Amino acid sequence: MTSEIAGNTLRDEATRPAGGPPAPQNKKRKGVTERDRPLWLLAPGGLLIAVIILIPLVLALYMSLIDLDQYTLRKWLTTPFIGVENFVEALTKTDLLRSIWISVSFAVVSTIVTVPLGVAAVVVTQNPYRGRAIVRAVFLIPYVLPSFVVATVWRTMLQPDGIVNSVLHNVGIDPGLWLNGPMSYWTLILVEIWAAWPFIYLLALAGLQSVDHEVHEAAAIDGALWWRKLREVIFPYLKGPVSLAFLLGTLNHINNFTLPFVLFGAPAPADVNVLPILVYVTSFQSFRFGLSAAMAVVSLILIAIPLFIYLRAVKLDVSDDGGKK
Amino acid sequence: MSTQTRTRSATRTPRKGRSAEVTRLMPTWLIAVLTTLLCVLVLVPVAYIFLASLNSDVGVARGEFWPSQFSLESYTKIWRSVGLGKGIINSLVVSGAVAVVSALIAIGTAYVLVRFSFLGRLTMLRGLLGLQSIPGTLMLLPVFVLFASIGAWVGITIIGTLWGLFIAYLTFALPFSTWVMVTYLRGLPRELEEAARIDGASNMGILFRIIVPLSWPGIVVSGIFAFLLGWNDVLFASIFTKPNTATAAIVLQVFSASQEGGAIPVYSQMMAAALVCAAPVVILYFIFQRYLVGGLTAGGVK
Repeated sequence: MTSEIAGNTLRDEATRPAGGPPAPQNKKRKGVTERDRPLWLLAPGGLLIAVIILIPLVLALYMSLIDLDQYTLRKWLTTPFIGVENFVEALTKTDLLRSIWISVSFAVVSTIVTVPLGVAAVVVTQNPYRGRAIVRAVFLIPYVLPSFVVATVWRTMLQPDGIVNSVLHNVGIDPGLWLNGPMSYWTLILVEIWAAWPFIYLLALAGLQSVDHEVHEAAAIDGALWWRKLREVIFPYLKGPVSLAFLLGTLNHINNFTLPFVLFGAPAPADVNVLPILVYVTSFQSFRFGLSAAMAVVSLILIAIPLFIYLRAVKLDVSDDGGKK
Repeated sequence: MSTQTRTRSATRTPRKGRSAEVTRLMPTWLIAVLTTLLCVLVLVPVAYIFLASLNSDVGVARGEFWPSQFSLESYTKIWRSVGLGKGIINSLVVSGAVAVVSALIAIGTAYVLVRFSFLGRLTMLRGLLGLQSIPGTLMLLPVFVLFASIGAWVGITIIGTLWGLFIAYLTFALPFSTWVMVTYLRGLPRELEEAARIDGASNMGILFRIIVPLSWPGIVVSGIFAFLLGWNDVLFASIFTKPNTATAAIVLQVFSASQEGGAIPVYSQMMAAALVCAAPVVILYFIFQRYLVGGLTAGGVK
């Protein structure tokens, strides 16, 4: 859903000087078009976004401050205002803090494993060979498959009597339950890694393609060994795209609702009770709407922190470049 | 090298004419080993899904990797046992409509945002990016309450119909679709538009006669991403649909959730149903691969 964040598009915008004009060509030619600007074309999109995104955002903030449950939902405009009580209850009496911990640790572990996989995939498909197009298409399969399909098939394969257990049983390992109990946390990470590493691959691909041929030649003339060349020449080029991929990947993992929901169902086992599932269950199974809105607001703040840090870092980067342009 | 130029060259076409020796980053044996490992990681589960869907339910339950007997039985059964047909039609209707309408709105909005200057333009461009990162779980409840309240005031049902789903997906698709069109239109030369304007074309004439015919790749990408948003969503569909308006994703999810505790697991049918749900997406990627991979590396989603 909206958790899907554009990769480089974000960078395009962010790398522009802060507060400055977007791009020189956009500000020109006022004379021709100033008089009859078809601003009404903005109306349909603007109206939809205002009614379906902006108003509900304000509504979410408001709901987090009122005592809203299934009895008061029909007359939510007159529901008593209870201030920060929902937030206090969410932080002290619910699983919120535990869910935050599960979500964040799950997201970070998943990202840490997917980054080397994605970078390796980029490095090994760098040089053309027969069949490279097929290999690249194979790498994209987990990315192309819808999340709900990935979750459904893994759920089937990881059933107690599913294929994974019967294969492991044949080689003498008895892994026990994948979809329940303490193991479920690692199941979630494994499936997420399987589904998410091509995203890193795609973003790193753009980074590697930006390495100039001269750089390769210079490294070759210096006679650099492959691993030194990789570490000291190539990886610095990948640092930018991969940090972006790291951040967006982590945010996408934290926001991922579909995968845990379809893998484990709702309510989820305690070990995989990630934030989106907790917010969802509190709303639509416990019907504690106000409480759930408070939790959602907390999770928005949680997501805003890394995004903010990242945007700041990028702006600093740009001001360094600014002088050279 | 500045970040700016690096971004540019990354989004443009890769350089041609690299000689293999110079650009090689690893010894051949290591490339072979890593490529094989990654392919195995992807292909073993995928192969199993295919094989299981061609097996019988009994065969899969026995734990066979390679079916003792191949049959297409599962693919014929799922239409009755799962009710997948209705779900797929609902998904196609909603996602298809979202794709068309959001591409239409996006190109109009992007045209104004790129070619005209007005107050609040920058704020809108920033907003397009910011809105993409709002978590769906935050929006679900207030949108639900809003739809329920509007429905009650006006006296119509929104929750449970495909209209509610359509409006929600359309809106959530718009920031990204519009952003795709904005980046695309920025790359179009202005000269044609200026020539048309000198010939007396109106703004709308320019939009429909010049911009739209030149922007098909951008329109396709923004439409397909909007389609995928609708097709892949579970969160909103799980609340906004009734059994007869359920999308393919919900039908599949309910089907797989209902398996546990049941007497005979129908895993083969489950795999077949999952593959059928994935098929439209995979087909779209194949047909429009050229545009999409460009769009992906320029603005990877997911």
